[in-house]
Amino acid sequence: MRVTQSMLSNNMLRNLSNSYSRMDKLQDQISTQKKFTKPSDDPVAAMMGMNYRTDLNRIQQFTRNIGEVRNWVDSTDDALDKGVMALQRIRELTLQASNGTLEGDQRKAVAEEIKQLKEHLQNIGDTQVGGKYIFNGKQTNVRPSESGFQSGTIELEVFSGIKIPVNTEGKALFEDMLSDEGDIQKLITALETNDPAVGDMLEKVDKNIDKFLSARALIGAKQNRVELMEDRLSQQEVFSTRILSDNEDIDMEKAIIELTTQESIHRAALSVGARIIQPTLTDFLR
Amino acid sequence: MRSTFMGLETARRGMFTQQSALYTTGHNISNANTPGYTRQRINFAQTEPYPGVGMNRPQIPGQMGTGVEAGTVQRIRESFLDLQYRTENTKMGYYGAMSESLTKMEEIMNEPSENGLHSTLEKFWNALQDLSSHTENTGARDVVAATGQMVADTLNYYYNSLSRVQEDIGNQVDVKVDEINAIVAQIDHLNKQIASVEPHGYLPNDLYDERDLLVDSLSQLVNVKVTSVVPNTYGDAKPMAAGLYNIEIVQKDGKSYNPPISLISATKESGIVGTNKVELEKSEDSGLVTGLKIGSASFTQFETLSGELSGLINSYGYEAGGSAKGAYPEMLEKLNRMTSAFAKEFNEIHKNGYALGADAISGLDFFQFDEGNPAQSIKVNQELLDDSSKIAAAAEKGGASGDNHNAQLLADLRKKSFSDYTSLTDDEKSKLNGSIDSYYSGIIGRLGVDSQSAQKDLKNSAVLADSVDRNRQSVSAVSLDEEMTNMIKFQHAYNASARNITVVDEMLDKIINGMGVVGR
Repeated sequence: MRVTQSMLSNNMLRNLSNSYSRMDKLQDQISTQKKFTKPSDDPVAAMMGMNYRTDLNRIQQFTRNIGEVRNWVDSTDDALDKGVMALQRIRELTLQASNGTLEGDQRKAVAEEIKQLKEHLQNIGDTQVGGKYIFNGKQTNVRPSESGFQSGTIELEVFSGIKIPVNTEGKALFEDMLSDEGDIQKLITALETNDPAVGDMLEKVDKNIDKFLSARALIGAKQNRVELMEDRLSQQEVFSTRILSDNEDIDMEKAIIELTTQESIHRAALSVGARIIQPTLTDFLR
Repeated sequence: MRSTFMGLETARRGMFTQQSALYTTGHNISNANTPGYTRQRINFAQTEPYPGVGMNRPQIPGQMGTGVEAGTVQRIRESFLDLQYRTENTKMGYYGAMSESLTKMEEIMNEPSENGLHSTLEKFWNALQDLSSHTENTGARDVVAATGQMVADTLNYYYNSLSRVQEDIGNQVDVKVDEINAIVAQIDHLNKQIASVEPHGYLPNDLYDERDLLVDSLSQLVNVKVTSVVPNTYGDAKPMAAGLYNIEIVQKDGKSYNPPISLISATKESGIVGTNKVELEKSEDSGLVTGLKIGSASFTQFETLSGELSGLINSYGYEAGGSAKGAYPEMLEKLNRMTSAFAKEFNEIHKNGYALGADAISGLDFFQFDEGNPAQSIKVNQELLDDSSKIAAAAEKGGASGDNHNAQLLADLRKKSFSDYTSLTDDEKSKLNGSIDSYYSGIIGRLGVDSQSAQKDLKNSAVLADSVDRNRQSVSAVSLDEEMTNMIKFQHAYNASARNITVVDEMLDKIINGMGVVGR
C-alpha cells in the first residue's frame, strides 16, 4: 500500500480525536459518578435504572407512610393506657365506696374525684395527633366530645397493596361510658344520692376496663405488625439502593485506572504523531 | 539517409518531455493539500521510429528511435473505490442525521435524571400518598396540586422542546434539498464544460476532480448511482476520456427505482439530456413531508431512501398511508396518547370523589387539556390550585376529613394497567400497554436503543468510509517523497538531454567547420 503524508496526518488526527472522545467519556463518568448519562449509553441499564428508582422511591414513601401509622398506633396505645389507669382508679374508688364505711362527705369527695376522672377520660377521647382527633372515625377534624363519636376506618398503604387500618373507633370505648346516662354518670349519681347500688356498679366498671384492655391488645398486635413492616422496608431500602448503585454508579478505582491508561495512550499518540509527521525527503535533499 | 539534425531533434524532444513531466510534478506538489485532488502522471510515449515502413525506405540497418513525447496527462484514480466510498458516505449521512436528532431527543427527555418526567411523576405519586395520610392538611393538598402542575409543566416542556427541534430539523431538510439542487447544478455545469473539452482530445483533469468531489458530497446527502456516458458524437475524444456523468437516485441496496429517478441524465445518443430539481412537498395541515418532487416524478418511498436527507426526513416526519411516520412525530404522538389517557383516567377518579366536607360528588376535572394536543396543553384545573380543599380525597358522601379512600385510588393509578382504565375506548387502550410508569420507561428504553443503534451504525459506516478513503488516498494522494524523487529523476533526464544537444552540437561543429579544409 502506498502511504502518503496526508494519510499519516489524517490518521493521526482521527486517532487523536478518538482518544479525546474516550477521555471525554471518562471525564463524564468520573464527574457525574454515573456509568451513563443518556439512555443510549446503555439502554437496558437506563430502563432498569428507572424501575429501580421507582422501587426505591416507593419504599421510601411507604417508610414515610408507616411512620405516620406508627404515630397513630403509638398515640392510641398511650391514650388507651391512660384510659385504663383512670378506669382502675375509678374501680378502686368504687370498691372503697361500696363497702359502706364511708360518711356522706367522704362519698361526696369520692364522687368529686370520679367526676374529675370522667373529664380526664373525656380528654383522652379527644386525643389529637398532628391536629387529628384519632378516636373520631373519619371525622378527624371534629372534637368528639362536642359532636359525639363518629365512625369510620382510616387505612394507610404501607406496602404495595397492603393497607393497615390505623384508627380505633372511640364510639364503643367512650360514648356509652361517658354519656349523661352512662355508667360513670350513674356511679357519680349513686354516690351523691347515697344509693346502695354502688356495689353493683363495680361490674360495669370492670366491663369498661375489659373493653379498653382488649382494644389495647389489638393495638399491641398492630404495633408488632408495624415493627415487622418497618424492618422489612428498611431492609428493602438497603437492598434497592444497592441494586440502583450497582446498576448505574461507577466503580471509581476502575474509572481512574482507565483514565490513567487512556492518558498514557493519549500521550503516546501525541508524541508518535509529532515524530511521524515532520520529516519528508525534502528535509534531506539539498 | 537520415537527417543531419535528427539527433538535435531527439534531444530537444527529450528536454521538452522531461520539462513537462517536471511541471506536472510541480503541479502535484502544489496541490498536495487540495481537497479532491488526484495526482497526475504524464504518460511518456516513444515517437515514431525512423524510417517508416514503405517501398522507398532508406537502406539503413534498421529502425531508429526518434525520442520521446508526452502522451496524455492522466489522473491516477480507482473508480471502484469511489463507488465503495460513496456507498458508505451515504450511510454515514443517514446515520449521522439520525443519531444527532435522536441524541437531541434524549437530551430533552433528560432521563434518567432527577428532573425528568419520571421523577416528576414519582413526586406526584408521593404527594398523593402523603395526601392519603394527611387528608385534612391544606399543605398536603397544596403539594398535590403543585406537583400535579409540575407533571403538566414537564409534559408541556417536552412537547414544546421536541416540536421546536422538529421544526429546526424541518428547516434543515429544506436546506439539504437546496444543497442537493446546488450540487446538481454545479455538476451539470461541469458536465457541460467537460463536454466542450473532451471532443478536442484533451483530458480536463481538474474538472474531473472537481466533479468527483461534488459527487462525493452529493453522496452524503442522498444515495446516488453515477454512470459515465461517452456520447457517440464525441469527435476526437481520447479513449481515457471520462465522459458525462449520469446521476440517478437509487434505493438503499443500490437498485434503481422503477421508473428510474434521475438527477442528471445523459445518453450516448444525445449527450446531456437535462437535470431535475428536487422539490419538497409538505402537508398543509401537519407540515410533515408528503413527498419529494424530482422532475415530473413524485417520490414517496422514504423507507428505501438513504443519505442525510432521508435521515432528516425520517426524524422530522413524513406522511405515509395517512399516518405520521418518523422519530419526532411518533414520540410526540406517544406523549400525547399517554398524557391523554393518564389525564382522563385521573379526572374520572377525581370527579367521582368528594371534596373536603362536600355532600355532592366533586365533578371537577383535576387536569384540563385540549383534546387536539394533550401534552402541550395539559394543566391543573385552576380551581384546585386556588382552593386545594376542593381536591376530592374522600370517597364517601360528606367528605370527612379523614376519608382518604379516593386519594388512595388516585395514588394507585400509577400501577393501574391502561387496559383497566374505565375512561378509555377499546381503540385507545389497544395503542397503550402496561401502566403509565412502565409505558413511559418503555418509551425511554426504545429511544435509548434506537439512538444507540444509530450511533453504532454511524460509527461502523464511518470506520468503513475511512478505510475506503484510505485506500483511495493510497492510490490518488500526492506523496511528497515520491514527487521529490520524480523531480530528481526528470531533472537528470532533462540535463542529460541538454548534454546530448551539446554532443550533437560538437559533432555538427566537426562536420561544418572542421571537415573539407585539407591544405588550408
